[in-house]
Amino acid sequence: MLLKDYKPNKLFDELMDESGKVRPYYKTIVDRLSSLSHDELKTKIRSLELLFLKQGITFTVYGDEKGTERVFPFDPFPRVIPAPEWETIEAGLVQRITALNLFLYDVYHEQRIIKDGIIPKEVVYSAAHFRPEFMGVSIPKDAYIHICGTDLIRDIDGRYLVLEDNGRCPSGVSYVLENRAAMKRVFPHLFGGGVRSVDTYPADLLATLRHIAPRENPNPNIVLLTPGVHNSAYFEHSFLARQMSIEIVEGRDLIALDGFVYMRTTRGLRQVDVIYRRIDDDFLDPQVFRKDSCLGVPGLVDAVRRGNVALANAIGTGVADDKVTYAYVPEMIRYYLCQEPILDQVPTYLAWRDSDKKYILDNLPQLVVKAANESGGYGMLIGPASTKEQIEEFRQKIIATPRNYIAQPVVNFSQHPTLVESGIEGRHVDLRPFVLWGDTVKVLPGGLTRVALKRGSLVVNSSQGGGSKDTWVFAT
Amino acid sequence: MMLSRVADHQYWMSRQIERAENLARLVRISEEMLLDDETLGRGSAQEYWTPVLQATAMEESFKSLYPQPRQGDAARFITSDLRNADSIISCIRQARENARSVRDKISEEMWTEINALNMLVTSPEGIDLLEVAPQAFYEKIISSSMLFDGITEATLTRDEGWNFLQLGRLLERADMTSRFLDIWSQSTSQDAAEESLKWGAVLRACGAHAGYRKAYGGEITIEKVVDLLLFSNEFPRSIRHCLRRADEVLHDISGTPTGGYSNQCEKLTGALLARLSFSGPTEVMAKGLHDYIDDLQKQLNSSSQAVFESFVLLPSEVGRHFTRHNRPESMSDWQREQQQQQQQ
Repeated sequence: MLLKDYKPNKLFDELMDESGKVRPYYKTIVDRLSSLSHDELKTKIRSLELLFLKQGITFTVYGDEKGTERVFPFDPFPRVIPAPEWETIEAGLVQRITALNLFLYDVYHEQRIIKDGIIPKEVVYSAAHFRPEFMGVSIPKDAYIHICGTDLIRDIDGRYLVLEDNGRCPSGVSYVLENRAAMKRVFPHLFGGGVRSVDTYPADLLATLRHIAPRENPNPNIVLLTPGVHNSAYFEHSFLARQMSIEIVEGRDLIALDGFVYMRTTRGLRQVDVIYRRIDDDFLDPQVFRKDSCLGVPGLVDAVRRGNVALANAIGTGVADDKVTYAYVPEMIRYYLCQEPILDQVPTYLAWRDSDKKYILDNLPQLVVKAANESGGYGMLIGPASTKEQIEEFRQKIIATPRNYIAQPVVNFSQHPTLVESGIEGRHVDLRPFVLWGDTVKVLPGGLTRVALKRGSLVVNSSQGGGSKDTWVFAT
Repeated sequence: MMLSRVADHQYWMSRQIERAENLARLVRISEEMLLDDETLGRGSAQEYWTPVLQATAMEESFKSLYPQPRQGDAARFITSDLRNADSIISCIRQARENARSVRDKISEEMWTEINALNMLVTSPEGIDLLEVAPQAFYEKIISSSMLFDGITEATLTRDEGWNFLQLGRLLERADMTSRFLDIWSQSTSQDAAEESLKWGAVLRACGAHAGYRKAYGGEITIEKVVDLLLFSNEFPRSIRHCLRRADEVLHDISGTPTGGYSNQCEKLTGALLARLSFSGPTEVMAKGLHDYIDDLQKQLNSSSQAVFESFVLLPSEVGRHFTRHNRPESMSDWQREQQQQQQQ
């Protein structure tokens, strides 16, 4: 019996309640998985990973000369989210992206939220990704974040908490689609019906991009702008471009002339209307942002300002997913929508507030400290798991640049049964659902469940030893 | 219409696979020949490799990396030395990188094959195979290249991308056949047996043994080999055949009727084809094989440069100096770092 030694470990366990009873919506999966032995499961996973490798479904590991490509480890035990739970998540995500888009429009136009004293001016203006160059610029449909990949975790009581809003260029959605395809191929017998499909994502994304075409062009030329094959998410870029049948371009394929953007083809130049860019603002246009960028297109920003080309996501969304701004999102929701936030978030201490800074410095060994503008699990200190030296290093950094750091209590987030060498054990998981803001707001059912494969580890990032699993949302 | 960079990647992807295949053919035959006493005559194995390295334009970099070559160095240099940007494994890696850049444009099966070939030659198992059974290693590369060609034939839509793939393969094949012909072009011997051995090897490197026998019978002479590999209209690896097909492909891309031209690349390729169509071994032997081939290679290079200028560059950029731009190693570290930084 596969689960005979499985224990909930005093955390919130996705599979079992406190008494060790399997939650009703997992019953079918557990019954069907139990028909396989541990060895059979492992063999299936190995052949699956070999298949991923053969198909080049890989990400690139950095800090390695050869740019080694690895398979994103895949765990066969699917995570299940019952329908009522998902309804709440979905409503909460829609509420959140709505507020964030209203906030972005506001800070780049009237700044009512600052004038009304809800968010201090310093918070906005000191955010590394705030783009004052875009004050007063109107963009199609006033939409800033078109694609959002919000990270959720569950605390000890099973409450879903927003950990961060990734509103710049969130990645991972290709793994949602590939994981589902892999599950269907290797474990078809686990599906009992009622699992909501994820297949429409590329079509929905395309509709989202079409929605922002300049001058409502009904037949826009849409392209995906990638940094290039050395980017860790290149597989995803290529995958999405293929699924949507749009061109995948690099900066050098585009040229801006007289306020329009064109792509270079074998038959000359062809105008581009919408760019799904997977490059940070900083690198988009060496004439406006980083001068040394070799990834961008000189003149692109000018074309955006003139309304001749639309970008998804828009320039300047980073001010909304700054970790200091994050602390104010509940206030934003109340201010713009007159609603209470549906999803809770993790309490956050801001080092730039003196009182918070004192608390942070006094309690470093118990806190998680994060750089305000980093992502991907970089620039982070997990107090309880760090050495004295690491803690001291962060103490100095916080004192030197308090605006750059925030701290949060350690959330011992939920665990999920996961296949490991010795059997099936609990491992920490998070969830990244994907939200599309187009004509309507669409939330992809489920999202990417990332799992920290190391026992006890809270870091789920693929770059740091995380894996992923398929995520099932039941229709009823 | 397609992205210029994509056309360039597709063109180079198939060129690099074709080059890897041809080099594998060459090394395989060479190692076989070296087993025969007569091949060496009174010379050393190293003397055998010198014309091979010259003909493949690798001599200079070989000499600088191996000032005192030992046995096996030349074959290793051509096969697996990553410092040699034209080695078989380097070519395969570059082809695979190019394929990765256009994987949304090629079929899943094409991608899987090229990815598998790259996995094989860069894996410890592949390197082991090269050590213990080099012939099997070369066979794998040759058959994988031909399989890739077949998969392409069977799975890829006949659009512009297909044409660029064909163009790359055909121009590379013509170039490599000319290099095979060049290996012994300057060292003709009076010894008929030795000549027959050498030119027989060239035929086998081109997979032309059977085709030759069918056309000319058993006796192998330089004139007849030249007739087949340069001028045959029917043999698929002959230079004329490759150019004729390249000419068709170019006209298919531009839509111009054959016999005329609408861009520099069509003009150069068409002119070269005409020249080959209206001459034969007599002219070659009169001019001297090596000089003839030297000239031919220059014109092939111009054709291939013209592909780049006609389809990748904007008219205003033609004439600027571009280096071998699509090689992954030509990217500097800071550029690579910038590509990697973008992540959320």
